[in-house]
Amino acid sequence: MEVSVIGSSQAKIGRVDLVNRELGFCGNFRPQIFSRKSKICFGQTIGWPQKSPIRLTVKAAIQSEALVSDKVTAKSKPIDGVRLYVGLPLDAVSDCNTVNHARAITAGLRALKLLGVDGVELPVWWGIAEKEAMGKYDWSGYLALAEMVRKVGLKLHISLCFHATREPKIPLPEWVSRIGESQPSIFFSDRAGEQYRDCLSLAVDDLPLLDGKTPIQVYNEFCGSFKSSFASFLGSTITGISIGLGPDGELRYPSFHNPARNNRIRGVGEFQCYDQNMLSYLKQHAEAFGNPLWGLSGPHDAPSYDQAPNSNNFVKEHGGSWETPYGDFFLSWYSNQLISHGDRLLSLASSTFNDVPVKVSGKVPLVHSWYKTRSHPSELTAGFYNTVSRDGYEGVVEIFARNSCKMILPGMDLSDEHQPNEALSSPRSLLAQIISACKRQGVNVSGQNSSVSGAPNGFEQIKKNLLDENEVVDLFTYQRMGAFFFSPDHFPKFTEFVRRLTQPELHSDDLLSDEAESVSSEQGKNLHMQVA
Amino acid sequence: MAPASATSNLLNLSLSERAPPIQPWWRPLTLWTSYSRRHFALKRIEKVEGNISIKLDNGKDRENWQLSVGCNLPGKWVLHWGVNYINDIGSEWDQPPVEMRPPGSVPIKDYAIETPLKKSSAVVEGDLYYELKIDFSTDTDIAAINFVLKDEETGAWYQRRGRDFKVALIDDLHEDGNKLGAKKGLGVRPGPFEQLSSLLLKSEEAHPKGEDNSDSRGPSKKTKCLEGFYEEHSIVKEVLINNSVSVSARKCPKTAKNLLHIETDIPGDVVVHWGLCKDDGEKWEIPAKPYPAETIVFKNKALRTLLQRKEGGKGGWSLFTLDEGYARFVFVLKINENTWLNYMGNDFYIPLSSSSVLPAQPRHDQSEGHRQVETDQEVSPAAYTDGIINDIRSLVSDISSGKSRQTKSKESQQSILQEIEKLAAEAYSIFRSSIPTYSEDVMVESEEVEPPVKISSGTGSGFEILCQGFNWESHKSGRWYMQLLERAAEISSIGFTVVWLPPPTESVSPEGYMPGDLYNLNSRYGNVEELKLIVKRFHEVGIRVLGDVVLNHRCAQYKNQNGIWNIFGGRLNWDDRAVVADDPHFQGRGNKSSGDNFHAAPNIDHSQEFVRSDLKEWLCWLRKEIGYDGWRLDFVRGFWGGYIKDYIDASEPYFAVGEYWDSLSYTYGEMDHNQDAHRQRIIEWINATSGTAGAFDVTTKGILHSALQRCEYWRLSDQKGKPPGVVGWWPSRAVTFIENHDTGSTQGHWRFPGGKEMQGYAYILTHPGTPAVFYDHAFHHMRSEISALVSLRNRNKIHCRSTIQITKAERDVYAAIIDKKVAMKIGPGFYEPTTQEVYRTSFQPKERYKMILSIIKLNPFPQRHTSIEDRIAAHVHLV
Repeated sequence: MEVSVIGSSQAKIGRVDLVNRELGFCGNFRPQIFSRKSKICFGQTIGWPQKSPIRLTVKAAIQSEALVSDKVTAKSKPIDGVRLYVGLPLDAVSDCNTVNHARAITAGLRALKLLGVDGVELPVWWGIAEKEAMGKYDWSGYLALAEMVRKVGLKLHISLCFHATREPKIPLPEWVSRIGESQPSIFFSDRAGEQYRDCLSLAVDDLPLLDGKTPIQVYNEFCGSFKSSFASFLGSTITGISIGLGPDGELRYPSFHNPARNNRIRGVGEFQCYDQNMLSYLKQHAEAFGNPLWGLSGPHDAPSYDQAPNSNNFVKEHGGSWETPYGDFFLSWYSNQLISHGDRLLSLASSTFNDVPVKVSGKVPLVHSWYKTRSHPSELTAGFYNTVSRDGYEGVVEIFARNSCKMILPGMDLSDEHQPNEALSSPRSLLAQIISACKRQGVNVSGQNSSVSGAPNGFEQIKKNLLDENEVVDLFTYQRMGAFFFSPDHFPKFTEFVRRLTQPELHSDDLLSDEAESVSSEQGKNLHMQVA
Repeated sequence: MAPASATSNLLNLSLSERAPPIQPWWRPLTLWTSYSRRHFALKRIEKVEGNISIKLDNGKDRENWQLSVGCNLPGKWVLHWGVNYINDIGSEWDQPPVEMRPPGSVPIKDYAIETPLKKSSAVVEGDLYYELKIDFSTDTDIAAINFVLKDEETGAWYQRRGRDFKVALIDDLHEDGNKLGAKKGLGVRPGPFEQLSSLLLKSEEAHPKGEDNSDSRGPSKKTKCLEGFYEEHSIVKEVLINNSVSVSARKCPKTAKNLLHIETDIPGDVVVHWGLCKDDGEKWEIPAKPYPAETIVFKNKALRTLLQRKEGGKGGWSLFTLDEGYARFVFVLKINENTWLNYMGNDFYIPLSSSSVLPAQPRHDQSEGHRQVETDQEVSPAAYTDGIINDIRSLVSDISSGKSRQTKSKESQQSILQEIEKLAAEAYSIFRSSIPTYSEDVMVESEEVEPPVKISSGTGSGFEILCQGFNWESHKSGRWYMQLLERAAEISSIGFTVVWLPPPTESVSPEGYMPGDLYNLNSRYGNVEELKLIVKRFHEVGIRVLGDVVLNHRCAQYKNQNGIWNIFGGRLNWDDRAVVADDPHFQGRGNKSSGDNFHAAPNIDHSQEFVRSDLKEWLCWLRKEIGYDGWRLDFVRGFWGGYIKDYIDASEPYFAVGEYWDSLSYTYGEMDHNQDAHRQRIIEWINATSGTAGAFDVTTKGILHSALQRCEYWRLSDQKGKPPGVVGWWPSRAVTFIENHDTGSTQGHWRFPGGKEMQGYAYILTHPGTPAVFYDHAFHHMRSEISALVSLRNRNKIHCRSTIQITKAERDVYAAIIDKKVAMKIGPGFYEPTTQEVYRTSFQPKERYKMILSIIKLNPFPQRHTSIEDRIAAHVHLV
C-alpha cells in the first residue's frame, strides 16, 4: 500500500505541468467508500496488519515510482495506459442459452463502467453454443449479453472455450461427449489410463474423429459462425478474442486431473502422453529418431501426480533421467507436440479474424511450482521444456509472434513471498522469464490474476507487475465478477485498485486549482499509469 | 341490551356492512367490451392502539364519588364489574348495590353486572370516546370495585396485566398489589420511583391540601382516605377494516395493448404483486418491459409494483400497460411484509380482452396520458450511466479549466461513489442469493470461526437469553412450579436459554425473599419434589435454570436473651455471631457489614468463616440436589463482591447474575445524562467478584425510562458514543432488563414506561449484553413481538460481546448497527440505514431487512417507514 505516500508528502514527479500533484489521487474520496480499511491507509500509526513486509513493499513502491518517472521523462512518447477488464461470471450464459442473473450483471456492468473499467471478458463455451449437434449453433444468450455490454458502453473480450469446467459445471458439447464414450482416445490419458475428459487431446487435432471432421475443422467452423453472428460487434464492442488452447483454455497438458486444493503443495504432475494417438506419434517419432525403443511408452521413472521431484528418478535434481539423451528426446517431443498444437489453433484464429479489427490471443499458464529446482518438473509435465539449462518459452512465444497474437498470462497477483517455501515455487521469476521472451519477440501481454478469491496482497502484486512490465503488458483482466467480487470484503479493495489505475480524473480535492492548469484527462491518465 | 346510542357509533364496522357486495366478480370475456370495471371489497385486520382511562373523582360532596371508565377506541364496549365488600373474605366479586348500578346494567349470574359504555358527550378533536360513570357513596361498605372491559363486537376482554382492574376504596387492601391509583413509595428497597401514568386530578389539586385525607369518619369504620386519581392503560384492539380495490381494464385503441387501472383506498404503501397468465395455464408469467414506475421483478416469478399515492387522500393507484397475448392479469396485494390480501383465498384475477375484441369508443385523452407514463419510465440503464459519466466529464473539465468547485466536485464524487456502491450492493445480493450453496458455506464457516464459545459463570456461553420465570403474584396459586412446568417447552421454543426461578426456600414472606431455613425448599411456589421436577423438565427442553438465592439476609427463628430475633433455626442453626454488628435492630455480634444493610431482616455477616463455609455447602447442595445451573443473587449491595466470588468458585455455576440496585443520579428531579457514577458502582461490584458474575444493568433500564418516556433518545449514547449503561462499559457482564418482579408486576416500584416496553425490548434484545425478559411480558400481549426479537437475536448470533455502532442518537430517534448485521431503530423520528451502511453490514440481507421491519412495526409511522420498507425491499428482493 503505497498509500502512506499520500499522507506523508507531495512527491513531485518529473513533469512540469503536474508539480504539486500528490501521488495516489484518492484524497477525500476514500472515507466514503472504504469503510474501516481506509483508516489504515491514512495514518501509518494505525494498525498495519503485518508490519515489516508491508513497509518494505511501501518503500519498493516509492522507489520504483521514482525510477519510472525518470524513464518517462527520457522517453519521447509515453505509452498508453493499461486497459482494465473484468471477467464476467463463467456461467453468465446458462446451458439453455439464457443470461444468468441478468439483473446482477447489468448492475455490475454499470458499476464497472462508473468505476472507469474499460471492458469485460466473456467466456463463450463450446458446450453451450454448439451444444446439441455439430454445426448447430445457438448464440442467442451470448448475443444478448454482448448487447448488454454494448449498451453500458464497455468493451468486450471474448474467450472461446473449447474445454469444459467443473465449477460451475459446463461440459463439452453433448455430441462430443457421446463420441468420447465410444472413442475415449479423443481425450488425454495418463500412465494409469485415466482420461482427462474436460478437453480433447491435442493428438486428435487433425484426425477426422468428430463425425468425419477433425477437431481443428470443428473449431474453425465454430470461430466462423461466431464471427458472422457477432459481426456487428466485432471491432466496436468486441476488441479481442482469445482462443482456447487446452485445459482451462490454457496451452498445456492436463498434468493434473484435479484442481489444486488451496495452500497444498502440489506434486509435479504426470505426463499425459498415454492416449492411443499420442503413443503412436511417440512411436513414429522414436523410429524416425533412430531409437524405436524410446517410443514404446512414456518415461517409466516419472513421479506420480502428488509426488515431489526427488521421489523418483526422472526429474530428480541431480542425475535425473531428464538430463540424459533419452530425457531430452522425450521432453523435446512432448513439448513440441504442445507448441505445434498451439500454433495450429492460433493460426486458425488469426486467419479467421484477420479481416476484423480485433486482437487474437491465447493463454499460457504460469506453472510456477518447483520453478526453483533445476528440472522444473511441473513445467515439464505441463509441456514446457524449461529447465535450468534450457529456455522452454522462446519457442512458445514464437508461435504467438508468428501469428501476431497476444499472450494472456495469469498469475499477475502471485508473489513469491506467499508461496509455501517447500514448494520451491517462484511465480515472479517465471513471469519475468516469459515476459522477457515476449519483449524480445514483440508479443504483447494481457495479464490476469489467478486467484479468484484474492491472493494475499494480490492487488499490490498486480500493480507491481503492470508497473514493471508496462512495455508489453497493455491490458489486465481481473477475474472475476460474482458474489465474492461484489462482496463488502472485496469490492472496496478492487475499487481502490481500479481508481489508481484508471481514474486520476476523480481526484480533485487535493488539487489546487490554480496549479493544475493544463491537466487534461488523457495526460492525467497516462501519467497515472506510469506512476501507478 | 346496550342502548342504541352505543351501537350507532361503530363507524363502518358493523357486520352487515362488512359482508362483501354480492356481485359477479368475473364474467366471460365476450361480455366485456372496451371498458370494464371491477370492485373488490377487502377485509383486513389492523391493530389499533388506544387507552382505557380510569378516573376516580369526588363529585358533589365528599361522600359522593364517581368512577369513570373510558375508552377511546371504537367498539361495543361493556364494563363487566363487581365489588368487594369490606368484610368479605377472599377475592370473590359481589354485585354492587342497586343504587350504584347505572341505567342499562344487566346482572350476570350473581356476582357481576354488565353496563355498556356510552359515547361521550365530550368529543375531543373528533376522536370518539366511550365512557361510563358509576356514582357511589363512601357510606357504603364497599371496599373495592373490580372490573374488566369487554368489547362485545369482537368478544375480546381487556384486563390489566392479565388480572382484573381493581379500584380500592379503603386503605387496607395492601395485601393485593393490583389496585389502581395506589400510592407509590411503599417499596421495601430504596430506589428511584417514578410517577408513571398516574396523574393527580386537576380537580383534586384545586382542593385545599389535606382536605382529602382529613375526613373525619366514624371510628367504627376503617379510615377512608380516598384519593382521586386518573390512570390510562394502553390497549391494543384488532379491528377489521373495510377497504376496496377497483380495477378497470380497457383496450388502448392505438397500441392494441390492455390498459389496467388499479385503485385502492388502503392507506399506506400498497404493493401489487402480479403476473400474467396465458389462456391455458395457471402459471404466472412476467411480461416484457416496460413496467409501471416503482416496479421490481420478484424472483423471476412475479412483478411488484408500488402503487402511487393518491394526492391528498388515502390510497393509491397505478396504471399497467399489458401486451397482447395474455388471458388474465393475476394479482394479490401486499400491505406489509406479513400482510397479504387476496380474493377469498385465491388470487385476484382480471380477464384481459383478446385482440379480436376491439374497443368501440377509443378514448383519446386517456391513452395520450398513458403514453406519457410510458415514455417517462423508459430510461435505459445506459442512458442513466452515461448521464453520470457525463457528470464525471464535466467535473474533469471543471478541474482542467481551473474552476474547480470543491464542494460541487465533492458532491458529484459522492454521488458517483454512492451509485457504484449501490450497484455493487445490488449485484452482490443477487449473485449471492443465486448461488445459495456457496454463500451458505461461506457464512457458516465465518460464523463458526468467529465467536469462541468459552463458558464462564459471568457470561454463560455468551449467547444466553434469560427469561424471568415468575412475577410478584406467582406464589399465590401455591403450585407455580407445576404451572410453569407446562410452559417449559414454550419457553424453550421462543428461544430462551436460561430461566430464572423464584427463590425456593421456606420464607417469612410468601414471595420467598425472606428466607428462614435454607434447607427447607418447600415454598409457596411448590414443594421440593415439584421443584426438582421442573428443573428436570427445563433441562429436558435445553434450558438452564437459575436459582434465586438470598444470601444477604435471613429470618431468625428464635429470640436472643433481649427478645431480639437473631437466632437461626433449621439445619444452619447459626447464632447472633452470624449477624452483622452495625444494624441496631438485630443486635448482631458479627463484624460490621461489608455493604449496605437491608433493614427488614438480620443481615448475614459474610466475613465469618463458618457462615461462608455453610453457604458454600448449601449452594453446592442446591446444585447437586436440585440441579440448578446457576444463581440469581439477591440484594448483592449488602455485602462485598469478593464473597460472591468465593461462593461462585465453590459452587461452579454455569451462569450467575447479581442484583445490584441503587438509584441513578438526578439533578432537580431530572435524570442526568451522565450516569457513569451509577454504572461505575455496578462495575465495581462485578469487578469485586472478579467477573465471575454478571449484574443486572439497572443503569440501562433507568436511562431507557427517560429516553422513551420523555422522547429523549439522545440519552442512549454516552459522551463517547457508546451505550450509556453498564452494557457500554462491560457488555459481557451486563444483564440487561426492562422489568422484574420488583420494578413491575403488581409491585410497580419502578415501572417501565407504559406502552414503551417493546421499544425497550427492541433495545436490549438487539444489543450486546445478556438480555433478560420479564415473565409478564413474555407471556402476555407482547409475546409474539418478543418472540420475534428473540429469534432474531438467535438467528443473527448476537451475543453478549457483539459490537455496536450507534448510528443515530437524537431527540426523537435512536439507531444502531450491531455486529454489522442488524440495524435497529427506535423512536418516532426518521432513520434509515444509508446504502453504505446496509451494504457493509451483513451477510444476511434478508434477515437484516426483517429486523428493520420488525423494529419499525413497533413504532408505526406509516408514511416514512413503509418507504424504508420499500427501499430496503427493493434492495433485498431484487432476485
